[in-house]
Amino acid sequence: METILFILAPIAVGLILGIDRKVTAHMQNRVGPPIIQPFYDLVKLFGKRTMVMNNGQIIFAVSCLVFQALALALLVNEGDLLVVFFLSGAGSVSLVLGAFSAGSPYSFYGSQRELLQILAYEPVLLLVILLIGYDQGTLTVSKLNGSMLPGLGLAALSLVLVLVIKLQKSPYDVATAHQEIVSGPYVEYSGPYLGVTKLAHWFELAIVLGILTLLFWNANSAISIGGKVLLVAAAIFATQVIDNASARLTRGRMVRFTLFAGIALIAVNMLGVYLSKQGVI
Amino acid sequence: MGRSRVKSPWILHFDTGSCNGCDIETWALLTPRYDLERFGVLNEANPKHADVLLVTGPVTKKVEDRLRNLYAQMPEPRVVIAVGNCASTGSPFDDCYNVNGGIDRVLPVDVYIPGCAARPEAIIDGIVLGLRKWRERKFAAHDGTQPSKETEMQEASR
Repeated sequence: METILFILAPIAVGLILGIDRKVTAHMQNRVGPPIIQPFYDLVKLFGKRTMVMNNGQIIFAVSCLVFQALALALLVNEGDLLVVFFLSGAGSVSLVLGAFSAGSPYSFYGSQRELLQILAYEPVLLLVILLIGYDQGTLTVSKLNGSMLPGLGLAALSLVLVLVIKLQKSPYDVATAHQEIVSGPYVEYSGPYLGVTKLAHWFELAIVLGILTLLFWNANSAISIGGKVLLVAAAIFATQVIDNASARLTRGRMVRFTLFAGIALIAVNMLGVYLSKQGVI
Repeated sequence: MGRSRVKSPWILHFDTGSCNGCDIETWALLTPRYDLERFGVLNEANPKHADVLLVTGPVTKKVEDRLRNLYAQMPEPRVVIAVGNCASTGSPFDDCYNVNGGIDRVLPVDVYIPGCAARPEAIIDGIVLGLRKWRERKFAAHDGTQPSKETEMQEASR
């Protein structure tokens, strides 16, 4: 079961990205690519010739994938959420190091911005995980019980802020800003190793979406799965609307807004959880 | 693999001294009217991610090295498409002192798209033709007959 989930999760993320491109195209009055387009892209990249600047790029691209895959494996095996978070964080840092190792201005600039993105979303994601731990009294996935969505609605909302950055959407796609710095940390990667970093990104998204799905649970497995899918679809759709309705903002505003709004939402939510634990509400 | 390739051509568009007529028609392909993204085409603006090099203009002497540089940075297999009369033959600028007269004096070209400016429909046809060639293309082995990675790097830094 865990193995199937581990293989299915990145495939599902690939499909989500395909649907995302299709829906975005329809929002812009275009037809858009087929929904399995991300898979075509990935297979094509693995079929191209390897061109790398140095061996560091290879090591960091592969370690990025390994860290993200380990984190996802731990999540689907119902391990400790905090360890999942730190493994995934190590993967993000690997990508930054790989981009730094290439020694090109755009790559350098992109990885500086990627670090700022990490600075913006990691505290919010960490606080969501800690809030789950405070609410449930445990950080181990297998020991979580019941649906947390009624109690942790605002935390789910703050995950949308994280997803906007992780999905590289406007207004906070500052690291991969196509019109400014081409594609930021990915600029010096090409062919198969670009494919590896893309695959690592799918695993990374699978982890964030996986944490989101943990919030909903029902004794009836059909309702449970349906609710999880709806939750993910709602979050993705929210990021798409934000993406198509806004232009890119500066990196400073990204850090300020994401930290301020994210931490405020979680603080209010934590107050609610505290009061309900005390029996006030 | 071949199918995925044809379904996902990423384009690098480069202007080698064009009058911008062909460039505007190339950009029109990405608008809702022609919507080239429905074939999986993305405008990558980065030679390292690109598969198809769309070149407009008659290649001025100043831009020649840059064109070689971009080509060398594209990982194989790759396709070069000359868009418009200037890119194909040099057209009115042929024999000018500052112009090479056509992309094929600098790079191996796979598809020539005629027109002044080339119509968007013609460019789509040309890309489809290029993809057919690209589908069968193997990348060169390191047996000394093809430029090795080192010489390509030297070429790129030149």
